[in-house]
Amino acid sequence: MSDHEVEVLPPTPGARVGAFIKRKDVAQTFWLGVFFTAVFVVLGLWAYPKWMPVALTKQMQANKDIMIWFTVISAPIAGVVLSIAAKSFLNMHRGDTPPEEGIAIRTNTPVVIIWTATSLLFCIVAIAWGIVALNTDSAAATRDATKSLVVDVTGSQWAWSFYYPEEKIHTHTLNLPVDRPVTFNVISDDVNHSFWPVQLGVKVDANRLVTTTIEADPSATGPIDIKCAELCGLYHAYMETSGAVQTPADFASWVTSIQATGGVQQ
Amino acid sequence: MTTLSHAPASSRPIPNPKKSLITKLNMGTGMVVGIIFCWGTYFAMKAGRDMTDTHNVNKVLLMSMFAWSIGFLIGIGAFIGPFRWLIGKDLTDEEQLYLAGDGQGISRYFKYCTDHKVVGIQYLVGVMAMLGVGGTMAMMIRTNLAAPGSHFVTPVVYNSLVGLHGITMIVAMIIVATGPFGNYIMPIMIGAADMAFPRLNALSWWVLFTAIPVLCSAWFLGGIPTGWTAYAPLSDQAGPGMNAFVATIIIFAVSTAVAGMNITTTVVAMRAKGMKWNRVPIFVIGATISVALAIPAFPTFMVAMIQTALDRTIATGFYDANVGGSGWLYANLFWIMGHPEVYVILIPGVAALMEIAPVFVRKPLFSYNAAIAGFAGIAGLSVLVWAHHMYMSGWMPSLNGPFMITTEFISIPTGLLFLVLIGTLWRGRPWMKLPMLSVYAFIWDFLIGGITGIYLSDVPADNYLHGSMYVTAHFHYTLMGAALTGAIGGLAYWFPKMTGRMLNERGGYISFWFVQIGFNVLFLGMFIAGAEGQPRRVADYAHLFAHANLISTIGAYSVGFGMLVLLWSIIHSWRSGKIAPMNPWGAKTLEWTVPYPVPLVNFDTPPVVTSDPYGYGRSAK
Repeated sequence: MSDHEVEVLPPTPGARVGAFIKRKDVAQTFWLGVFFTAVFVVLGLWAYPKWMPVALTKQMQANKDIMIWFTVISAPIAGVVLSIAAKSFLNMHRGDTPPEEGIAIRTNTPVVIIWTATSLLFCIVAIAWGIVALNTDSAAATRDATKSLVVDVTGSQWAWSFYYPEEKIHTHTLNLPVDRPVTFNVISDDVNHSFWPVQLGVKVDANRLVTTTIEADPSATGPIDIKCAELCGLYHAYMETSGAVQTPADFASWVTSIQATGGVQQ
Repeated sequence: MTTLSHAPASSRPIPNPKKSLITKLNMGTGMVVGIIFCWGTYFAMKAGRDMTDTHNVNKVLLMSMFAWSIGFLIGIGAFIGPFRWLIGKDLTDEEQLYLAGDGQGISRYFKYCTDHKVVGIQYLVGVMAMLGVGGTMAMMIRTNLAAPGSHFVTPVVYNSLVGLHGITMIVAMIIVATGPFGNYIMPIMIGAADMAFPRLNALSWWVLFTAIPVLCSAWFLGGIPTGWTAYAPLSDQAGPGMNAFVATIIIFAVSTAVAGMNITTTVVAMRAKGMKWNRVPIFVIGATISVALAIPAFPTFMVAMIQTALDRTIATGFYDANVGGSGWLYANLFWIMGHPEVYVILIPGVAALMEIAPVFVRKPLFSYNAAIAGFAGIAGLSVLVWAHHMYMSGWMPSLNGPFMITTEFISIPTGLLFLVLIGTLWRGRPWMKLPMLSVYAFIWDFLIGGITGIYLSDVPADNYLHGSMYVTAHFHYTLMGAALTGAIGGLAYWFPKMTGRMLNERGGYISFWFVQIGFNVLFLGMFIAGAEGQPRRVADYAHLFAHANLISTIGAYSVGFGMLVLLWSIIHSWRSGKIAPMNPWGAKTLEWTVPYPVPLVNFDTPPVVTSDPYGYGRSAK
């Protein structure tokens, strides 16, 4: 301890806050924080919508919303952390001898409490958001099943195949009508695969001898890429196919064309 | 425990138990006996067996690998002590001193040496070798992914590269901080003469050492197709290379259990007089919590692997749905280990940086209690979150909600770690030396790793992100960006104590910037690829992902170059760097109160501790 001067604090909490805000280092940290917050807000609002594919279902839109808004919500926290780190970095001391001793702040109970409470709050927001979105997905699972289009999906090393029981057609591409819920019953012929129709924003593993089920609500037309998201051996990378969400008329004519060739897609 | 004298090394005669077998054994004899055991077992078991049956092949290979490990340990003399006990004797004092490597120069690094400082250096060199091998595989992966349609390696080799890169790095990262620093530095930090169980300490290293050739043998047995997660039933289906993976994990689990018990006992029982729990350096707390977490975690992995071995050798069918087993059983066992393991890796790295920050900012560690609460909270919650890796497995959709809640809650203790670091930096004037740079890199990298973890823990977002490159980028930010950065900071910080020389600063700075900038380019590129929809572990990809992957590969080469510069700096500095003073950083922990070379029993007089080691700084204003 080189110096034992005691900090003279202003008399009232209000005056203390006033003095704190007026400090030059605090102002600099604040503006750095604004900068970093802005970076993350831009990242959320601009980058994710640009990177992620077009949403063809409500589920995919919910995924995108989470990516975008979680980034925006966490931006101020990133701002606080990075601004304090950056301010201290810019204040660096170079040379071969240590700098003078800093201020002996052992802890600051109000800061620890506020920090913990804030992270708890953010945590609850994230959980609540997730639970609501999860419930929306579950609600899709329990709605009137008779309305749903059913597709049986089989993963095998290294291809996807589909069977539409109602239409009685076997296909290797996945076409779906828009505005009609779809239920996928997924199974594997061999090892684990993971059925990932990218633009639909849903995913489930294909397991041997156990059927797993997911639902999707196609709400826009467009192409679908189907991939395998679980390492399944030699040609895992090539275990992909394509498909489309179509208008009901286009879907009906696609079904008819396959039924015309004996119910098996050529 | 050994009964080593507290007299200074110079006043003791150099032990010379000439007639003892111990003096004749070393790594060379270990390898000879190991290889004899391995081939002996191989030929003995092969005789009369139908080797066209894969179950028999698996039996023979697995047993040969274990025989190598046991043979090596016999050959290096690991069991001489227990054998003496069996016949009612023990090692003589002279033999124990010999085992401690007293006065044996460089040769003790190749022996069954019980000195914790020797074990620390063995771990350091071993970890660097593993990181080198794992890093080379990463370069090959990124080279193959530089452009779509590349055929730099075949899909078989690519899948093996992915799996072996993964497991090599995971093993290396588990020991990267607790191995070198936990063994070399930690006992000195708490004022102990050695570890609680010096012979077990040597055992933990040499057991681990025997796993390295076993893992390497996977390449010669056709590789592994499963990735490091070794999911069943793919692992049941896999070729002979898979046996190497299985044996490696079983051997490694023994090593970590031994090391974990040893470190925990040492910290609980051997702290210096006056070192109450609230005076223990934060690195020691972090390392202890980390290994304590490993004690329940790795045996689970071992059990999972024993069941894989049984499936593959005697067709038990634990994971085979055809006979009533389930791949979900494996996935559960694996992730019950797998998620705590992430924090086993992370916590010592963060704790090392928390040790470093106060020294260079010349301020006390901000809220020591919050740091402990952060570590303890993470450790406690980490055993309750494993099934977030299985949201999309179809195993128990109804548990997705509860696991999402526990997982999100981990962000609270994790937030405390950030608070401790930025609180320590607040109003500080940091001395910008190599170790301190790692603190800043950690804050940036772990922030990205942490925030992206929040998306992944959220089930609806994980619907999209699971199994994509986004996950790969996320966990590299936490394991490499945070934990490895912490370990490199720790190396720069403790290098003077471990080698007696300063780490070359210019090389260190060049390496730091190449690695950190390259790292961020590499994995930001991978975040983009993942957000665009590229699955992970693919040998090839659509043109859509070409830009993101090219960016990643460029970043990877920058990391590779930076790491080579770091390697050069370490070798160069170790051989001919500037001689380090006893306490180059002006730190207050006990390891800086002993000279280099550190005496055999560390302290000529056992130290007495009267305060915590963070008494830096002056009163405010």
